[in-house]
Amino acid sequence: MIFEQLQNEVTAILARYPVKRSALLPLLNLAQAREGYVSEPAMREIAKLLDLTPPQVFETVTFYTMFNLKPIGTFHLQICKSLMCALVGSDDLVAWIKNQLDIGPGQTTSDNMFTLSVVECLGSCGTGPMMQVNDDYYEQLTEEKLKRIFDDLRRDGTCSLKSGPFMYPESAAK
Amino acid sequence: MATTQETKPDLVTLTIDGKSARVPKGTLVIEAARQVGVMVPHFCYHPKLTPDANCRMCLVEIEKMPRLQTSCSTPVAEGMVVKSAKSDQVEAARKSVLDFILANHPLDCPVCDQGGRCDLQDFSHEYTATKSQFQELKRVFQKEYFSPLIETQMNRCVQCLRCVRYCDQVMDVKALAPVGRGTLTEIKAFGTHELDCEFCGGCVQICPVGAITSRMSMYEFRPWMLKRADSICGYCGDGCQITYQTKNNSLIEVSSTHGSGRNNGDLCARGYFGYHVSEHPERIQTPLIRQGETFQPAIWEEALEQVGQTLLAIKQQHGPDAIAGLITGRCTNEDLYVFQKFMRGVVGTNQIDSSVRYGHLNGVRALQRVQGTHRWTVSFDDIVEADVLLLVGTNVTETNPITGLKIKEAVKRKGAKLITIEALQPAVGTISNIVNLAHHHFGVRADGFQGAVLALMKSVLETRGMAEDVKASATAYGNDLMAQLSGLAWSRLENRTGYSLSDYGHAASTFCQGKKVVILVGQDVLRASGGYGMTMNLLDLLLLTGKLSNPGCGVAPLAEENNDQGAFEMGAVSDVLPGGFSIDHAESRTAVSKHWGRSIPDSSGGALPQFLERMQSGAIKALLVVGENPLGSLPPVSGIEQALEGLQLLVCQELFMTETARKAHVVLPVCSSAEKEGTFTNTEGHVQAVRKAVEPVGDGRPDWEIFSALSIIMGDSMEYGDVKEIGKEIRNVLPGIRPLGPTPIPSKPDAMVVCGYVGGEYRRDLDSRYRLIDEQPDFSDELLVSLRQSLFHSGKFSLKADGLLKVESEGKLYVHPDEAARRNIGEGDQVDLCNDRGTIRAKVGLRERIPMGMAVFPEHFDQEMRGLLSYAVDPETQVPYYKLAQARIVKV
Repeated sequence: MIFEQLQNEVTAILARYPVKRSALLPLLNLAQAREGYVSEPAMREIAKLLDLTPPQVFETVTFYTMFNLKPIGTFHLQICKSLMCALVGSDDLVAWIKNQLDIGPGQTTSDNMFTLSVVECLGSCGTGPMMQVNDDYYEQLTEEKLKRIFDDLRRDGTCSLKSGPFMYPESAAK
Repeated sequence: MATTQETKPDLVTLTIDGKSARVPKGTLVIEAARQVGVMVPHFCYHPKLTPDANCRMCLVEIEKMPRLQTSCSTPVAEGMVVKSAKSDQVEAARKSVLDFILANHPLDCPVCDQGGRCDLQDFSHEYTATKSQFQELKRVFQKEYFSPLIETQMNRCVQCLRCVRYCDQVMDVKALAPVGRGTLTEIKAFGTHELDCEFCGGCVQICPVGAITSRMSMYEFRPWMLKRADSICGYCGDGCQITYQTKNNSLIEVSSTHGSGRNNGDLCARGYFGYHVSEHPERIQTPLIRQGETFQPAIWEEALEQVGQTLLAIKQQHGPDAIAGLITGRCTNEDLYVFQKFMRGVVGTNQIDSSVRYGHLNGVRALQRVQGTHRWTVSFDDIVEADVLLLVGTNVTETNPITGLKIKEAVKRKGAKLITIEALQPAVGTISNIVNLAHHHFGVRADGFQGAVLALMKSVLETRGMAEDVKASATAYGNDLMAQLSGLAWSRLENRTGYSLSDYGHAASTFCQGKKVVILVGQDVLRASGGYGMTMNLLDLLLLTGKLSNPGCGVAPLAEENNDQGAFEMGAVSDVLPGGFSIDHAESRTAVSKHWGRSIPDSSGGALPQFLERMQSGAIKALLVVGENPLGSLPPVSGIEQALEGLQLLVCQELFMTETARKAHVVLPVCSSAEKEGTFTNTEGHVQAVRKAVEPVGDGRPDWEIFSALSIIMGDSMEYGDVKEIGKEIRNVLPGIRPLGPTPIPSKPDAMVVCGYVGGEYRRDLDSRYRLIDEQPDFSDELLVSLRQSLFHSGKFSLKADGLLKVESEGKLYVHPDEAARRNIGEGDQVDLCNDRGTIRAKVGLRERIPMGMAVFPEHFDQEMRGLLSYAVDPETQVPYYKLAQARIVKV
């Protein structure tokens, strides 16, 4: 029962919408934030909360690429594969990661530390190639930078090279 | 029916491919085109569903509109000029849409079950999209097991989402999900789980290609090999039209065409997947005669001779009333009619009864008494058009699924208000639940419906009062009823039902606003104590609010068996003559006996419960059982076993060796409804033709032939050449049985009878009907076990249907998860149910819709469960009640 400890959040989300079903995406986000992915029990719970059937929740999850249906590692590496980043070598980064961490897109390292995904444009075209790790942006990546980022993440759980996300001016100002 | 169109709908004139069409405003271009004979190709459009316009196949050119338009989502406008087949631009567009679809669609037509009736094949042929611009590899989905009955082959999917929308909009089940996006969308259930749904087969029927097909007939046929026979489903009282498709005298498939029958092409699991019953290997092939403990196969002449001579001997020795007959409402009208004619005219007794006695009689008797009709005064169309629907004691989506669809359509599409008085609670599950759609739900225990009905009545009359004309013309009736209702204290009603004055007030004001009010009464009322009284109360409610005689209003008791209504109308009840008249009705007696050239016996006959007593006392020596299985359906406490033991002659006309047939002296094989001709009358009183699809199994004969043969042996010949001859006689005896038409014309209340009722007849049992049934002692630790019909079965009959057994093969005791948790029981645990009648073991299933304090068990698997049931007989209608038991539950 993943929402048992999140009663306040759930109540707040449900209160936002006149139609219960509208709360589907926020609740899925909440579930993913909690578990790192959207689990089957979570989908069933959400279905029950919103008077939907589990397939209705499932279809929504599969429509959006940013919901994970499988458990992911501590750090979710999302490398931009769109045109701008591809032109400046995002493919090479994916190959380098495959070489170094032995994971391809959709895979997780055996120590459950890193999961690699290739994603569409993250809106940081001026500073490609780039990737998002959990909620942070890392830009103008090189192989050396990647190595340092991974070492830092493994050791400290964070890395000083993170530069984003830029989408929230307030956090950029920090 | 009879909806007076207040304003004539605005008509719009438009031109489609040079043809002028005049259609109501709001019609879609694609429908207007169909009406003038222009077929616009389409995949995603279906008249039952809201337009989705996702397949782009139906593009047409409309003058003065900039681009091609999807005709499935464009409403007509005055003066519109549409070009479909005659436009090069349209032709090119359709070709390219096909090109996109064929870029991924595999060319596996030779092994596809849809081949030969596939929209994509037809359109490809028409538009010859033979060259493709695409060189890429086709998408290939991982093949996954989908379900025991429904197969998916997602590579063939054109992603029109008809199945998904049907499952949601029509069925309200929402079991299918379009998973993923773009060309990689596939239809799945939930995650990697297999499909768990109502298995109505709607997705199979609505799929335009071979992406969703039936596993029951996989790889067995090509459509052009199949012989078709339009017939009527033999399971519930809804009377759905089905098309049997056969190959080499074996049933391959059942389907139903959109636009045909009372079901309009929709079916349920029983109708769509339950057809294997008639081909079951255990079917009785030849007549069987008991020799000691075993049966010996015999030829017809021998078996009939034995039955006929024994009946004759018993009649001569002990009189005709030493013989009784019991017939099922699954027989055709013709069988039922000849049965009662044989018993009355040849044997000379009124001791006949049928499965109507198990409950439907309560409803019919009440209708007859108050409004003088034995049929509904509404039809399915009135349910769809109703603005207020009141459901009492019916889990209609399981017992009468197609009536359920009409209610869903009324509520979801037409905005009708739904009030439910039903034990189940709102909860989303794998099968639909009508109370989820209710605007006012009164979730009372299965033995407490009466309290809620009376409370709702009281509230309606207290807030709105009686209708003016009732006040004026039936003052005494109105006052007496008001006095009865005032005598019921609100505090007691609130206590009893758990709902407050204001809850009833809200529902009452909804009820009063209704102009077209339909009240549906289900099995849980009709088959339980007080069922007759409650149906009477509901009729009183319509009378007092002045709605009873209004078109589109009425009380509709739902029949369980496919021809329960017909059994009553054919007179297969001891005190009912063909036509539904009472046996004491002198005029009909004379008319019927004149037609027959035989006299009708005087003695009243009695009902099934009395037969049991008379069999035990030895007064009844012989019993003819036609398709019924009293030993398998009545609880032991009714004394059925002892009753059968004393018989000199027990004859069973059966398809299978039932519990009763095993006790018989002679067993005669008969035809299933797929093997004979005749008519069924559905729950709304619509007489529909049953047609033969396959030859009888073994030596099976239609039931009427057997009675006819017996009459010859007994020296009082009652011969018929074929079913049509019987049909003709029935129509002569009962001019009211109209020839078959596309839609039934509902009966109207008989003003004379209503007058007589409000003029004083109502007083006969007024006190007993308006007195709250004594409260059951509340043992907090005991459960009220209710035996109910499951969606996947119908009586014991469907337990021989392979397809249905794949979905539900055992009976589980369903309880609420919290109720189970409270007792530390989990899904699948074994429990003992015990009361002072005995102890039985059952497996537990969890369902959130079951209320606390109650358990539901599917009646089809009740062999042992019947040992716990209480048994009572209705004093007025002689209906035996045995669907409830109070029991303790102990974890094993």
